[in-house]
Amino acid sequence: MAVDTGPAREDRRETLADLLIVDADVHVHESPGALAPYCDPPWDVALRTVADVPERYLDIPGFSPGGDGTLTARFPTAHEATRMVHSPEQMVAELSEIHVDLAVLFPDHLLKLPVLPQADYAAALARAYNAWLVDRWTSRHPALLGALVACPQDPDDAAREIARYADDPSIVAVYLPCAGVDPLWGHRRYDPIYDAAQAAGLPVLLHAVTVTSPVFPFNNHGFDTEFARHATSHTFSIIANVVSMISTGVVVRFPELRIGVTEAGISWMPFVCNRLDKEYLERRREVPFLTERPSHYVKRIYVATQPIEEPERLSDIATLMELYDGADTTIFASDWPHHDFDHPTKLNQVPLAADVRRKVFGENALALFGIDREGRRR
Amino acid sequence: MTKAVVGRVTDFPEGTHRVVRVGRREIGVFNIGGRLYGLPNLCPHQTGPLCEGRRVTGTLVADADSGWRPRWTMEGEVVVCPWHGLEYHVPTGRCLAYPEIQLRRYEVGVEGEDVVVSVAGQR
Repeated sequence: MAVDTGPAREDRRETLADLLIVDADVHVHESPGALAPYCDPPWDVALRTVADVPERYLDIPGFSPGGDGTLTARFPTAHEATRMVHSPEQMVAELSEIHVDLAVLFPDHLLKLPVLPQADYAAALARAYNAWLVDRWTSRHPALLGALVACPQDPDDAAREIARYADDPSIVAVYLPCAGVDPLWGHRRYDPIYDAAQAAGLPVLLHAVTVTSPVFPFNNHGFDTEFARHATSHTFSIIANVVSMISTGVVVRFPELRIGVTEAGISWMPFVCNRLDKEYLERRREVPFLTERPSHYVKRIYVATQPIEEPERLSDIATLMELYDGADTTIFASDWPHHDFDHPTKLNQVPLAADVRRKVFGENALALFGIDREGRRR
Repeated sequence: MTKAVVGRVTDFPEGTHRVVRVGRREIGVFNIGGRLYGLPNLCPHQTGPLCEGRRVTGTLVADADSGWRPRWTMEGEVVVCPWHGLEYHVPTGRCLAYPEIQLRRYEVGVEGEDVVVSVAGQR
């Protein structure tokens, strides 16, 4: 007798709990006081000087100056947007609630590292953060993996940092801070960083935040509102840096370097692919080192989903991914615990084929970070 | 239709709200101007704990009547999801940013000294 047992097991949709979920972008809270013991003199004194400033979201004078939250009129709200994660235990518990199995840690305040004008101080902060990150976070739990911060004000020092941690099993990426960076990350002055990252087998990840600064493309003072600044700053910054890295040939000169971008959504990708291909047919001789269409290089970049677009037709997200051939390069990120974090349930509602869904939630990130399903470096 | 006692009247002073559990549901019960309202503690956007914010507030609107300048209104009637800030008007369950989102409203009443929430039977 034939019995209908429903769809075959492999056809059933896995739940978020069943899926391997790798989160390419979560944030630890590094306060000045926490970093001070790891910081070289005399800058440790500066950190202790601001250690007692009341915690404000990405806004501490002399540490993470000029928070955009300070520009806009404040009205009462229950969306206080000041979530912070202070310990590995807290991070693991909270990520478990959103079904994340492995996570790559980024800083809070040091998102604005490039804004600091004192290069020696910025480099000391980066060294202190990296030491603190490994000592207090990534060495404490196998699910917590680290992105070293590369100080753009001192590329040679950043390269030494990458070499120092090249064999640390808990470090899986080099973080290139974008907020206020000048010059853009395609400049040849950063070649030591790319050289070191490529030699270490570590990918570089671009990450921006919203700041208002005279530096392109953060000269966003033309906008009245955080609505406008925040909608554009992250994405403009990622577009600027990606176009910079392609137009100066980083992607050609460091062919083994894996590149990822975070916190810009995905909808800019088709735009950049198409505009660069268009320009290339007229101006190829300005970028003669490219041997393929520019979009081919863009499409090799890994793109984190957060903050995922919220179109009226959710299937538009799948369409956008198709437009940049993103099945193998799109990676999930939550941005936990920040105000605009994405719960995986949103991406999970997008109509993706089962294999693409598995890749986007976890498998693509394993390739980018060079790790196995337990987070061990391969 | 089933009813559940979720507390005493004195548990819900005017101008406050709290989340109660009825079976498997979490419901935010709000006392606005002496009238009780019930909304799901679940934001349809990304499943955030909609009613767990510390306070109910007003909000800003702007229209032709205000000369397109913002004015503070609906004081004490707007709940904001603590996860991503999506705003809802408690008395109507209307989402302010996306009008196509309309929250289910639970009937909340007083029987004697008890606050009673009505929910549909098991689905």
